[in-house]
Amino acid sequence: MSQPRSSGYLRTRYAQDWMLLETRTQRVGFALFAACALALPFFAGAFHLDIANQVLLASIGAVALMLLTGYAGQISLGHAGLLAAGAFTTGILFKEFAAPFWVTLPAAAAVGAALGVIFGLPSLRLRGLYLAVSTLALHFIVIYLGSEYESKRGFSTGVVIDPPRLGSWTLTDARAWYFVLLAAATATVLFSLNLMRSRTGRAWRAIHGRETVAGALGISVQRAKLSAFVVSSTLTAVAGCLFAYYRGFVSAEAFSLFLTIQYVAMVIIGGLGSILGALLGAVFVVLFPYGIEAAMKATALADRLSSLIFAVNYAAFGLVMILFLVFEPKGLVGIWQRVQAWFLLWPFKQKPVGK
Amino acid sequence: MADNLKLEGVSLAFGGLQVLQDVSFETRKGELLCLIGPNGAGKTSILNCICGLYRPGSGRITFGANDLTRMAPHRISRLGLARTFQHGELFAHLTVVENLLVARHARIGTNIVAEGFFTRSVREEEAVHRKAVEEVLDFTDLERYRHEHVGALPFGIQKIVGFARALAMQPKVMLLDEPSAGLNRDEREDLARHILRIKHELGIPMIWVEHDMQMVADLADRLYVLDHGEPIAQGRPEEVLKDHRVVEAYLGTRTTMA
Repeated sequence: MSQPRSSGYLRTRYAQDWMLLETRTQRVGFALFAACALALPFFAGAFHLDIANQVLLASIGAVALMLLTGYAGQISLGHAGLLAAGAFTTGILFKEFAAPFWVTLPAAAAVGAALGVIFGLPSLRLRGLYLAVSTLALHFIVIYLGSEYESKRGFSTGVVIDPPRLGSWTLTDARAWYFVLLAAATATVLFSLNLMRSRTGRAWRAIHGRETVAGALGISVQRAKLSAFVVSSTLTAVAGCLFAYYRGFVSAEAFSLFLTIQYVAMVIIGGLGSILGALLGAVFVVLFPYGIEAAMKATALADRLSSLIFAVNYAAFGLVMILFLVFEPKGLVGIWQRVQAWFLLWPFKQKPVGK
Repeated sequence: MADNLKLEGVSLAFGGLQVLQDVSFETRKGELLCLIGPNGAGKTSILNCICGLYRPGSGRITFGANDLTRMAPHRISRLGLARTFQHGELFAHLTVVENLLVARHARIGTNIVAEGFFTRSVREEEAVHRKAVEEVLDFTDLERYRHEHVGALPFGIQKIVGFARALAMQPKVMLLDEPSAGLNRDEREDLARHILRIKHELGIPMIWVEHDMQMVADLADRLYVLDHGEPIAQGRPEEVLKDHRVVEAYLGTRTTMA
C-alpha cells in the first residue's frame, strides 16, 4: 500500500481500499495479461503447453502454501504429503469405486480439510522448526499409507486413472486442460485474495510472529492457526487431485520430500506474504530445470555433463535459493515492486524506506 | 452499575521469585489510575495478569460479573479490555488501517466462506468497520499515515498507532503499558492530550503504567505504588508522591557513612 502511486489519484470511497484493480493502469495491465493467458494455448506447442499446465498446477499449491507460511507464518514441510493425499484419494476412489471426478474432487478436498486439522494441531503447541519437523512426520505417514495401498493392491508401479469424463466428453486434450487449470488457478487466487482482504486474512497476518498480541486483541490464536491449516490443506489436496487426473497416474514416488522443498522454494523465491509472489515463484521453480537444460545445451556442456544433469539441476537450484535468501529476501515480488517504483518515479530516484 | 475491573489479593510467583504480592485495587468510572514503581516492581506483570497472559497463583481478577482469572486472553479482550504494549508490538508488515482493523476482529461477524467469495454482506461489513477505524484515526490525528506500513513509521508515531489500535476495540477499560516510553516532549504532549480526551470525552477508565513522574503528577486521578511486587501506597498523586516509602523506593534511604 505504501507503494508509490502516480500523482492525482485520490480515494473517495472506503471500497477503494480493497479494490483489487484500482487504477486504470492496473486494469489495462491486467486485461493485457488475461488476453495473453487466454491466447497462449493457441500459439504454444505440446511441449510448452505441458509446461504451462505444470505452472498452473504448481501455482495452486504455491498459493495454498503462501497462505499458510507466507501470511499465517506457520512453517509446514508436509506440502508434498498433502498433494499426495489429494492424489491418492482420487486414485483410490477411482480404482475401488470407479468414482467420477465430481465425487473424487470434493472427497479430496474433504480429506485435505481433515488432514489440515491433524497437521494443524501440533501448531497449537509447537513453533518454528519444531512445527516443521512435526509436519514432516505427517508427510511420511501419508506417503507410507499411499505406498502401502499401492503394494497391497498390486499397483506397484502406481495407480492409473482415466481422464475426467462429463457425459460423453473426456478431458484429455492438453489445450482443454490448460483452460480447466487456468480456471482452477484463477479461482484459487481470487479466493485467497478475498480472504486476505477480510477478517480471516488479517487474523492470519496478525498471528504471524505476534501471537500474544493477536490474542490480546481478541483473536483466537488456535482458531486462526487451524483455519489457516485447513484452508491451505484443502486447496493443496484439490491441487493433488487435479495433478492425479492431469498425469493420469498416481505414485508415491512422485511426492518426495524434494517436491515439498520445491514448494517452499516457490514461496520464498516468489516473496513471502504475497499472492503474486506465489505465482511468480511457481513460474520460476517450474521453468528453472528447463532453463538449466537449455543453458547447458547452449554452452555445449550437455554432452560432457549429460549423466550429471540431475545433479547440476539440484546444485543450481540450491544455489539460487541461497542467493535469493541472502540478496533478495523479498523475492521476485521485491524486484517487481522496485521496477514498478522506478518507472513511476522516473526521472527521480527513490530509496525504499523500511518495509 | 458500570463494570469495574477488580483485583483481589492477586499474587504471582515465577519459581522462587515473588513478582506480585497481595495486589488489590479497583477501577472507577472514567478514572485514570496510575501504576507506578521502580523497575521490576511488577507493574507490567499486573497488566499481564489482567490480560490472561500470566496466571496469578492466588487471588481473583473480576470484570463486572466475569471472573478473568482463568479466562483465555482473547476472551478477556472481547469483554472490552484493550491494552497497549510497552514496545508497541504492532504488526509492522500491515498498514495503519489494517492494524486497527485487526483490533476490530471480534466485532466483525463475517464467516470464512463468505469472505472467500467477498460477498456483498462482507463488503458492507468491511465498510462499516473501515469507517469506525477512520473515526479512531481522526481522534488520534493519524489520518496522514493511514496507508503507511507501520514498520516504516517513526517510533513515536508507532506508539500512537498502538494506542489507536487499543482504542479501535471500543474498550470498556484501557490498559496502557508505558505509553510515553521513548517519546520526545512533543509526542508526550500529544499523548497526554489523547489520554485526557479519552477520559473526558469517552469516559473510559484507564490503568496506566508510567515512569514519567511529571506526567503522572499532572494527569493521574489516583496512584497505586508497587515496590518488589508489594503495594506500598495508594491515593491521590499529591499525597502519594510525598509518602516517605514511595520516596524511599525510588531514591533509596539516606545512610550515614560510618
